[in-house]
Amino acid sequence: MSTASSLHTRRKTRNSVMMTLCVVAAGIGLAWLALILGALVYKGAAGLSFDVFTQMTPPPGDAGGLLNAIYGSVVMTVIAVIVGTPIGVLAGTYMAEYGRFSKLTTVVRFINDILLSAPSIIIGLFVYELMVRPMGHFSAIAGAVALAILVIPVVVRTTEDMLNLVPNALREAGTAIGAPRWVVIKSVAYRAALSGIVTGILLSIARISGETAPLLFTALNNQFWSSNLNAPMASLPVTIFQFALSPYEEWQQLAWTGALIITLTVLALSIVARSLTGRREDK
Amino acid sequence: MSQMLSPDMTIATEAAAKVKIEVKNLNFYYGQSKALKDITLSLPERSVTAFIGPSGCGKSTLLRVFNRIYELYPKQTAEGQVLLDGQNVLDRSQDLNLLRTKIGMVFQKPTPFPMSIYENIAFGVRLYEKISKAEMDGRVEQALKRAALWNEVKDKLNASGLSLSGGQQQRLCIARTVAVKPEVILLDEPASALDPLSTAKIEELIDELQADYTIVIVTHNMQQAARVSKQTAFMYLGELVEFDKTEKIFTSPREKRTQDYITGRFG
Repeated sequence: MSTASSLHTRRKTRNSVMMTLCVVAAGIGLAWLALILGALVYKGAAGLSFDVFTQMTPPPGDAGGLLNAIYGSVVMTVIAVIVGTPIGVLAGTYMAEYGRFSKLTTVVRFINDILLSAPSIIIGLFVYELMVRPMGHFSAIAGAVALAILVIPVVVRTTEDMLNLVPNALREAGTAIGAPRWVVIKSVAYRAALSGIVTGILLSIARISGETAPLLFTALNNQFWSSNLNAPMASLPVTIFQFALSPYEEWQQLAWTGALIITLTVLALSIVARSLTGRREDK
Repeated sequence: MSQMLSPDMTIATEAAAKVKIEVKNLNFYYGQSKALKDITLSLPERSVTAFIGPSGCGKSTLLRVFNRIYELYPKQTAEGQVLLDGQNVLDRSQDLNLLRTKIGMVFQKPTPFPMSIYENIAFGVRLYEKISKAEMDGRVEQALKRAALWNEVKDKLNASGLSLSGGQQQRLCIARTVAVKPEVILLDEPASALDPLSTAKIEELIDELQADYTIVIVTHNMQQAARVSKQTAFMYLGELVEFDKTEKIFTSPREKRTQDYITGRFG
């Protein structure tokens, strides 16, 4: 009896020790996040005003906003998504549907995973060599292409994963009713995987909206309003990078505010993505 | 093998019903392994035939050859002949999509498409027929009535097919299959994931449907085979051991292996 109860006590003690360690570890992880977010909100919210969204980036010492940078970020992100999403979705569809059992799929998946974790500055350099050098100047379109290259692997991966989650029984059922393969994919598989695929696209937007490195070598930056895709264009991350490094207080304040705007946008996208996947799991 | 294929595997029914599906010397392979061994049998039209046998005996495999659904996967091959009204469905020139509109299939787990109840049925019809909205409404209603589901869903046709209970989903799948007007319906353990009440409903349905369709049902539930089928095939390790009228199989089987299986001595 005594051994049994002492064993029990030891097990309980060990359990509480492990439990405490886990809670502390989780706490440390969360604390940094909270500190970063806290600093961001504290410093960024101070500069949040109507002007931020209506004024151009100012010269040193002047007041101004981030309108051209926000516009540039939105334009380049939209182009990147329009270019990258169809390629990513189609590639993922090939891998999960047509080429499910082919060697090519294994090879593509491997390469895609490398691309997924490639440092984004390398993508920037690649597009610099591919577009900026031949064209002779930096341009928004080169920036968008660099971002699109970052979008593709994320979308490929999630599309493939989500389509793989669609039960084969559903494909068999579609086939058994006489539907050709492309109809089964379009009307059954895509529909079943839709929320997951959309989530992947939203996550890819979240990823590229904070990327600085690929834009430094491609879109560069622009102090002024420019909607010319063939010319350098401002973007939030590059503006933050430049302003945060500057000695001017107004610029530093705008950098904080810009960082807050990006973070809130990414947060909003993540929440939308989460709610979409959540609805999927409810079914 | 000669001992199993005693005289002839076709059944001499009194009326000598027309043969709908005739399987001749069918062999089936998963890669290198042989899953069906020289199967020969004939299924009469407008009648229910059951395939029984222990897990892995090849009964589902045989069913999946009839509409060539196995071709969705690589390294699965069939040799021999499966004649539907005298035409070999294994022929390479066979249009698979057309074949599958003639041979419908219902699976073990209910597989409603991720769309509304109405669309679940209209989907298959729309693939091969261009009909007006009114006609489509009629077809959907007719199919749901046929599957004894109409009264339960008529007020929520736009609800998701996934919102139905398991038994209702399975009847929706049957309705969807019936809606495209097939000649043969293949049922792959259609009630094994359902509760007894839903099972009873499905069995009733099978009984009604055999007036118009040739039905083949795979089941590991012997009582179910005895209840719903006119003739039963007992399969074991990829071989067709015995094929006869259901009452004969369950009362006085010719083969000892059949006897052992139906009395629960193995499997």
